[in-house]
Amino acid sequence: MDLKGTVNDVVNLVSKRAAVLLFFSLLFVVGLLAFVARYFNNASLWVQHPANKHLYENGKLLSQGTIYDRRGSILAQINDGSITFNEDQMVRTALMHTTGDIENNVGTGALVAFGDRLSGWNIIDGVYRFNKSPAPGDDLVLTLDADLCTMAYRELSPYKGAVGVYNYKTGEILCMASTPSFDPQNPPAVEAGPEKYEGIYINNFLSARYTPGSIFKLVTTAAALDSLDNVENRTYPCAGELQVGGDRVTCMASHGEVTLEQALAHSCNCAFARITLDLGAEKLQEYADLAGFNSGLEIDGIKTVAGRVDLAEAEGVDLAWAGIGQYTNTANPLNFMAFMGAIANDGVRVTPEIIRDEGLSSFIKTTQKKRILSPQTAKKLKQMMRNNTVSVYGEENFKGLELCAKSGTAQVGGGKKPHAWFAGFLDRRDFPLAFVVVIENGGSGGKIAAPVAATVLQQAVDSP
Amino acid sequence: MNNVLESVKQLLEWLPAGSPLVFSGIADLPPYFKTILELYTLFVRGLFPILAFIILLSCMLLLWPDRKEDEVRGYLLLKDGSRMPLKYWENSIGRSKASDLEIAFAYVSRSHAVLTFRDKSWHLTDVGSKGGVEVNGAKVEKTESLDYGDTISFAGIEAVLVPAEKPVHNHRDLTSAPPESKVNPGMIFALILLFQVLGAVQSCIAAGAVLNLAVPVTFLVFILAECLFFFSVQRWSQRSFDLELLLCFLSGLSLFIVASAHPDLLYKQLAAIFLGVAVYTIIGIMIYDPERARKLKYVFVAAAIVLLALNLALGKTYFGAKRWIDLGFITIQPSEFVKIAFVMAGTATLDRLLTTRNMTAFILFSGACIGALVFIRDFGTVAVFFGAFIVIAFMRSGDLRTIALASAGAAIGALAVISFIPYVATRFAAWGKVWEYADTTGYQQARTMIAAASGGLLGVGAGNGYLAKIAAADTDLVFGIICEEWGFLVAITTVLVFIFLAVYAVSLAKGCRSSLYAIAACGAASMLLFQTALNVLGPVDIFPLTGITMPFVSRGGSSMISAWGLLAFIKTAADRFGSERNGE
Ligand SMILES: [Zn+2]
Repeated sequence: MDLKGTVNDVVNLVSKRAAVLLFFSLLFVVGLLAFVARYFNNASLWVQHPANKHLYENGKLLSQGTIYDRRGSILAQINDGSITFNEDQMVRTALMHTTGDIENNVGTGALVAFGDRLSGWNIIDGVYRFNKSPAPGDDLVLTLDADLCTMAYRELSPYKGAVGVYNYKTGEILCMASTPSFDPQNPPAVEAGPEKYEGIYINNFLSARYTPGSIFKLVTTAAALDSLDNVENRTYPCAGELQVGGDRVTCMASHGEVTLEQALAHSCNCAFARITLDLGAEKLQEYADLAGFNSGLEIDGIKTVAGRVDLAEAEGVDLAWAGIGQYTNTANPLNFMAFMGAIANDGVRVTPEIIRDEGLSSFIKTTQKKRILSPQTAKKLKQMMRNNTVSVYGEENFKGLELCAKSGTAQVGGGKKPHAWFAGFLDRRDFPLAFVVVIENGGSGGKIAAPVAATVLQQAVDSP
Repeated sequence: MNNVLESVKQLLEWLPAGSPLVFSGIADLPPYFKTILELYTLFVRGLFPILAFIILLSCMLLLWPDRKEDEVRGYLLLKDGSRMPLKYWENSIGRSKASDLEIAFAYVSRSHAVLTFRDKSWHLTDVGSKGGVEVNGAKVEKTESLDYGDTISFAGIEAVLVPAEKPVHNHRDLTSAPPESKVNPGMIFALILLFQVLGAVQSCIAAGAVLNLAVPVTFLVFILAECLFFFSVQRWSQRSFDLELLLCFLSGLSLFIVASAHPDLLYKQLAAIFLGVAVYTIIGIMIYDPERARKLKYVFVAAAIVLLALNLALGKTYFGAKRWIDLGFITIQPSEFVKIAFVMAGTATLDRLLTTRNMTAFILFSGACIGALVFIRDFGTVAVFFGAFIVIAFMRSGDLRTIALASAGAAIGALAVISFIPYVATRFAAWGKVWEYADTTGYQQARTMIAAASGGLLGVGAGNGYLAKIAAADTDLVFGIICEEWGFLVAITTVLVFIFLAVYAVSLAKGCRSSLYAIAACGAASMLLFQTALNVLGPVDIFPLTGITMPFVSRGGSSMISAWGLLAFIKTAADRFGSERNGE
């Protein structure tokens, strides 16, 4: 008889099916992990909601925190729900976009952006305070130099625009100014004159974007150095204008036969139009993305607005203008300054920072670095930008600064004056500073923006 | 020396006075005394997460099945000399590969018979086989009890029942918590007491000048009752005190939450816990015997139908849902009690499982429950019932297709509910964007997340939160309250208790005295799990908010009692030895 009795070692029927409950438990764990992730990412934002009675009473912050600059000057102080600013009106106004205003209209201001730190909140203790007394962590030290910011604001104040200076080795932002501004202690009635105060709450340095104009030629140059054969040894003819398809690209003057270096120094549009057409849209797009266009940076959690370069539909004269920094291109001042820093720092971009870390946190925090250009390309760009200063902008205007720079005069149309740009860096070991100056409808970059840069940089070097 | 005596005397005068007014003196206390109190909070904040974690971990170790599941309870000797061990209390016999004892012979049905050990002897049930079952030559109509040495014939295949080498009755070394267990329940219990004593002191300190006397009194009574419970179980019960440890912990948390939110309701909550333990004990005794449990099922179902009908007729509407019946002195939530009947209704012993394959009765009852709940607009509970239905239905049928169909039907039903009932639609509208509606439909969620963030990992200290003051926070938003006052770590540990309960129930399913208990334990655990999931993930905006309680932890009598009732199923499943043990 071939009868066979088998004992099935599988657990009995019902208990095998019980695994369905394990499946649901696992789903719950997944949901719980989703919350845990959200908690660690967003708790610092949740805690700042004005409905939080631990921190706010009738919408006023209860905590006690102080914002200092790098030299220890008080920029803003929260005490029993009221905010006081620096005693000097000029300093207050110059740093309004940095600190933020009383009504929290400036989203990137420290009072909003670092509200969690100022309130003494941290992920471990929450809002708990021993004896309800302030902890050292309630204070915030910024990397900024208030005097330098004030100087920049003074220079900038006749116009609308932005100035920024940062250390391209450490990432520390030393100077940040945005105009127009106002005294946060005596805020104007903005609602009464919305046109007069247009954009007053926006920190142009972090959150604005402007047509870049010729400063964008640095991006085109980087692409050309890497991609076009023999580009440094050939010349480009310029007769003051160039026919592309049925349209034309124009220069301020007829530059004759120019090398790449001369074309950059004299900002020859005709030469750059030819170079751009040689490169093609794809290559230029690649280098624009590398230079930081189309993606914002995060400055200690503050997100900057990204400049835009979209060449998907650019061809012919549109593409030619795009390589000259016109077309639909826009640039954000801070992101462009970081690109300058990358050229200065052998092709490695150090992400700018605004919070100065002291004590324990300085060990934990790491500076974010990203290589965006090869060292050779960065070196060549640096030499060409140095040549710009020596041969065009005038070394006597930037004595001892070892300035490498590029000016830009960005046409905006509509009968308005062009935006004036001046961006670059100091090639000095003791002052590794990159900078950007942009003045809305200011006119010529070399004439209007360059002197502002000169004054601010001289001050940065003279009184470190 | 005199000074010390003086302060002690002052302290003694200060303590017993019942009026909260006396405590207003706390504001005038010397600063160093306030600093001592602050230091206390600072210290316990850090201690609580560690204690909670150790309590959970050691309970897991204590409960984790390390008993020998392969205990052989008898053998079937086949003609060819092969010996088939009977490893379970219920052994299915058939041609199917899913049978515990597989007989590969064409005349044997796929599911042929079930051998059950109960009342100290073996019982054989024919589960509708074609070939029939005979014992010593006599045909078994339905169930027949057996003696060792009996010859059984499965469609002509003969086998002899013989005892195991080691008699089943000798189980001293098999108790559900073996004496060599690495964790001592007494140690865990001591940790829980420490947690609760420290927490109670913290709650009193936080209340300060407005301390309600109910707070210290409740905790005193609770802790004494807990000790009584622990020692009486240790002394008189054959069962071990293990699962109850986790429940002492959770019940303590519920008192802390009520102390923060509604100190005046503390006595009520304490009474609810006592009632819960009573219900837990009574149900435990009632379903002790699987046969009796099977019969009781119909009583429970009948009671559930009456309760639901009453709810439909008399229900009061609060917050858009008609889930309470007001009895004048007390309001009850019938759907909570229906949970117990629902789990009971879903159970079946293995022989029944194999004889009556269709679940029509259970499906009809489920439909009635869910329909009534939809009608009284208790959608959170609908989701909980449906989840438990899936678990039970799958355990009974093993049929994924039916489950998929049921889920699809439920999804369509849910869509219909969302689109046609405005109250639900607004809840869904807020889902995922509660910060936009932070002061309207997203109010509770936004407050919960603010509270959770404010607490940080360690919390601001029991009684120091703001979330507890929001209406219904101590029922629906308890997770947020724990986060805020006890910290994120304690809150997550609390949730892990429920996830562990579910995993534990699954581990019990193997080697239960009856598959009835396996299904009941998993059904009950799934109810608790789904309810916790909705309670935790709703207010933090991972799920839409449904307004549902956390079992054992939220304030409320009905919810507390039903949770304890469900727990009885898990505890019974954990008992491997049943009535035999009482024979001693
Ligand atoms: Zn030219």
